[in-house]
Amino acid sequence: MAGVDVVLQVLIWGLYAGCIYILLATGLNLIFGVMKVVNFAHGELLMLGAYITFTFYALSGWNPYVLLGASVPLLIIVGIIIERLCFRPILGTGKLNEIFISIGLIYIVQNAAAIVWTDEWRIIHSPYERITISVFGVNMPLDYLIIIITTALILIGLHLFLRRTRIGKAMRATSQNRNGAMLMGINVERMDMLSFGIGAGFAGAAGTLWVVSGQVFNPYMGSIPAIKAFAIVILGGLGSIPGAIIGGLVYGIAENFAIFTLGGAWKDAISFIILILVLIVRPTGLFGESAE
Amino acid sequence: MTGENTRLLEVSNLSVFYSGLQVLWDVSLSVNSGEIVTILGANGAGKTTLVHSIFGLVRDRKGKVLFRNADISSIPAYKVVKHGLSLVPERRELFPKMTVIENLEIGGFPRQERVVGYDEIFTLFPVLEERKRQLAGTLSGGEQQMLAIARALISRPSLLVLDEPSLGLSPLLVSTVLDTVATLNKSGLSILLVEQNVQHALEISQRGYILENGRIIRGGSSDDLLHDDQVRAAYLGI
Repeated sequence: MAGVDVVLQVLIWGLYAGCIYILLATGLNLIFGVMKVVNFAHGELLMLGAYITFTFYALSGWNPYVLLGASVPLLIIVGIIIERLCFRPILGTGKLNEIFISIGLIYIVQNAAAIVWTDEWRIIHSPYERITISVFGVNMPLDYLIIIITTALILIGLHLFLRRTRIGKAMRATSQNRNGAMLMGINVERMDMLSFGIGAGFAGAAGTLWVVSGQVFNPYMGSIPAIKAFAIVILGGLGSIPGAIIGGLVYGIAENFAIFTLGGAWKDAISFIILILVLIVRPTGLFGESAE
Repeated sequence: MTGENTRLLEVSNLSVFYSGLQVLWDVSLSVNSGEIVTILGANGAGKTTLVHSIFGLVRDRKGKVLFRNADISSIPAYKVVKHGLSLVPERRELFPKMTVIENLEIGGFPRQERVVGYDEIFTLFPVLEERKRQLAGTLSGGEQQMLAIARALISRPSLLVLDEPSLGLSPLLVSTVLDTVATLNKSGLSILLVEQNVQHALEISQRGYILENGRIIRGGSSDDLLHDDQVRAAYLGI
């Protein structure tokens, strides 16, 4: 009986850890799907989301969950600025340009953050920190439940946006066939901007949830989560949003099982072991080449 | 040609370059309203390049493209289609992971207020109604071509440009597609048709141009072209 409890416990931890990865990987996939650009600086957008939450929390003392209302819109704006200034001018000039621009952005954003916020480790505390609730007989922190529900709502929102709205459909059309979309009167550059904005907004949401769950952060915190998000994107299939969701959950859960069974040192390694195994069996990732 | 029709499309002295290399030389042609005009030419003659530069998909070009007297030579593709031109591209350029209905919806993007009703489309292409919930990528080649044409019609264009609509289709389907083109023309739509199927294309069109190595080498009424010995030798193998 104790065994089942432990498995459930680890599953819930994994589900929570998966949420951050899912938000990052979904954002990456959205940007890749529309622009065919890999934003290596995605982890830095997560970090900015964390610091924006931290700063507003320090200034206002509001419930940090409410600060999603600050981190998401601000990161959307940051994303749009990055797209306009950095990626639009070089789009289509060669992959190497895109790679170096986004790698360069990593250091620019990290250093700027270190100047503004210093490079000390920070932490804030959720008002629900001490509350645990019982789900299916397993105790879990209330924060984890809120994070899981918030992520689910964000993903449902994205799904409805992409499936039901005119702009969402235009984004999907652009990701599936850029020339075809142009010929249908879709301003594909506006779709680039929008996809980068939404992708960055998702990273902002992940930043807030990271901070709220009581994890520490500094200006360099984005690298490891971003590398894992890339691995998830590859695991799930480039451009596939369902792939990003499944991949994120697999990673979150696998990491927590690794910590529990093999020890904490294996936490980061297990992700890449899974990635290598999947790629050996299915070189296109779990969900084929590109879905949406 | 019925007398002095209004000029719909006028391309004058169009030259196009691909990374500095010239591929079209001083191409001039026109389409009047109500006409079907055919552009004939072998593979690599520059037909698709010509179509792409009319639609603003090729940026490196000289010359003028006027549509209903409005200069559309230097505007991006998504704005070109808002003037009332619609393209059925050579490779169809459908959205493979969207349903037939969603593809049609996107077709209405340029001018939402003047979208043709689906009923009208489904009368023309009944097979699309049967398949309307199916993903475009799962349709057969012929069905995809129907969908590409239907999608181009949704925004009720005044000029429909078809780039080799019969490419890759069985002979039976080629006839169906070209007959559909003729039917659309009878209902008042002007058409610029790029084809390799010379005989059939000239039969349904009023005028034609012959493009060879990036230059227009002949233009005239379809009848004249069909009976021209040079054309017959080069393109009809007679």
